[in-house]
Amino acid sequence: MILGGVSVNKVAPSKPAPAKKANPPRKSGSSVKRVLRTVEPYVWIAPSVILMAVFILIPILSVFQMSLSDVSKAGKIKGFNGIANFTKVLKAPAFSLVLQNTLVWTVAVVVLSTVLGFVLALILNNQFRGRKVARAIVVFPWATTLVVQASVWNFIINKDYGTLNTLLLKLGIVSQPVNWTPTPEAYFAWEIACGIFVTVPFVTFCVLSGLQSIDTTYYEAATVDGANYWQKLFKITLPLVKSSLTVSTVLNIIYVFNSFPIIWTMTKGDPANHTDTLVTYLYKLAFYNGRQGEAAAVSVIGFILLLICASVYMIYTLRKGDDY
Amino acid sequence: MNPTVVKKPVSVKKVILRVLLYFIVLDVCVITLYPYFAMFCTALKSRAEIFSPNGTVLPITALWSNFIDIWSRAPMAKYLVNSILIAGGSTIIAMLCGIPAAYALARMRFKGQTAFLGFIIVSQMFAPVVLLIGIYKVMLTLGLTDSILGLIFINAAFNQAFTIWLLRGTFMGISAEMEQAATIDGCNRLQSMLRVLLPVAAPGIVTTLIFIFINAWNEYTVALCLISTDEFKPLTVGINIFNGYNMIEWQYLFAASIFAIIPVVILFMGIEKNLVSGLASGGVKG
Repeated sequence: MILGGVSVNKVAPSKPAPAKKANPPRKSGSSVKRVLRTVEPYVWIAPSVILMAVFILIPILSVFQMSLSDVSKAGKIKGFNGIANFTKVLKAPAFSLVLQNTLVWTVAVVVLSTVLGFVLALILNNQFRGRKVARAIVVFPWATTLVVQASVWNFIINKDYGTLNTLLLKLGIVSQPVNWTPTPEAYFAWEIACGIFVTVPFVTFCVLSGLQSIDTTYYEAATVDGANYWQKLFKITLPLVKSSLTVSTVLNIIYVFNSFPIIWTMTKGDPANHTDTLVTYLYKLAFYNGRQGEAAAVSVIGFILLLICASVYMIYTLRKGDDY
Repeated sequence: MNPTVVKKPVSVKKVILRVLLYFIVLDVCVITLYPYFAMFCTALKSRAEIFSPNGTVLPITALWSNFIDIWSRAPMAKYLVNSILIAGGSTIIAMLCGIPAAYALARMRFKGQTAFLGFIIVSQMFAPVVLLIGIYKVMLTLGLTDSILGLIFINAAFNQAFTIWLLRGTFMGISAEMEQAATIDGCNRLQSMLRVLLPVAAPGIVTTLIFIFINAWNEYTVALCLISTDEFKPLTVGINIFNGYNMIEWQYLFAASIFAIIPVVILFMGIEKNLVSGLASGGVKG
């Protein structure tokens, strides 16, 4: 803001140039100052830019490069080979199953946790005794590392010694130990449940923050006008928490799509890719089978899918937002 | 509608709703706490008791020694120190890089600002797991595979987006007038940021700091992939030593897990309120 009026061109926007500061052109005092001022913001963002360039941007570029290259088992790039990696990946018999699993996993976890998280936020937004304690408890799964969470659920649902069976037997709800995971699909469903369990708190707290910023006079006015609970929910609450909900949904789509530890800890994608999603599949391709070129192609496919999903969702909600 | 006429039925309805509310809240809490309860009970059981066909919910004899045994059965102390180093180091680097960047984005106008913000958002789309092959290559070039320092840099980089996002929101919520006054009094930008802005922004900074610490502490995938030497592993990866291929030592796995989650849960409860409002304000202003 302070620099608003000063505009000196000749500075490449992408290149932070701290070197220029050390060697300013010596024409007059004011022009030195001007150059310094133009360069200054880039000096401030330089550490961050360098950190992200080295550890995020270069890996991104290298994954894209590898996806189009013939890569040896040791990771050496042997040469450009067009879309060969992509055709190999798409032709692999397991790939359509993996893709389907990824979609089911992402949609189920994101949709169900958004609905549950929203409802939970509405409940926790009420005034009641022990509300602080309840909020503190609900945050637990968010804070717990996913590996631990997944191991516990794996233990709980075990047929032979899991505590869910023990509990149900003791309570007399079942008489025989139940096999909770008779099929790979059932196991996958448990993984989804675990995913929902750890994702709900994030949605809840995003929505709660939105709810707390709503002016209560809206509700008072609506009550005076004779609106019922559901009318208030859909006409006031929902539109006003929509921005929080959009943030949490977009972030969740990305996190859940890329989520690795739950599936890796519970099943490692076995048996025969039945519980694999793209990320576990590509991990195995790259680090177990040494097919890094194909793994890179899977990464790129995943990124494109994610980009499409997230942007479709954002465009959809933004356009809908114009109606209000 | 005349409020006095409908007063009585509403209050009956209110009582029912209240009861329902407490019922649901209680259920949610029980379900949420159940895995932790199961973990704790199992951590106190003997191996024989866990695999016994007549299992009990609570341990018959509480074996507190499990919590002591894990320290000798696995290099737990090493794992713990590594986790602290990785989380602490990542936090420091992420903050040192993130604070000036967030400051520039909140207080200055410059060419490429939108591009930078755009890259921050896009970078969120790439989880480390998708980029592991690329990350591994960079690490090979820098000689940082199988090292704690490598993990620190990766965690710091992948937390930049959140750091900048949260801090930019915090800084933008604070009026620039005080800093301008300080500049007139002869402070340069760095001094005015350090002496005027940062103290006011302290709550937001602490929230961000703790959040990065937790993220780095809980990170699993990159550590699993990059670290092969046992003595460099953080807790999240290290505790799986009890989760062997042919034998799972559940009691030790869970006893160790409790050490891995308790510090984080406590930290998280401390910042939960600020973090969420920070997320929301950053999002709205972005």
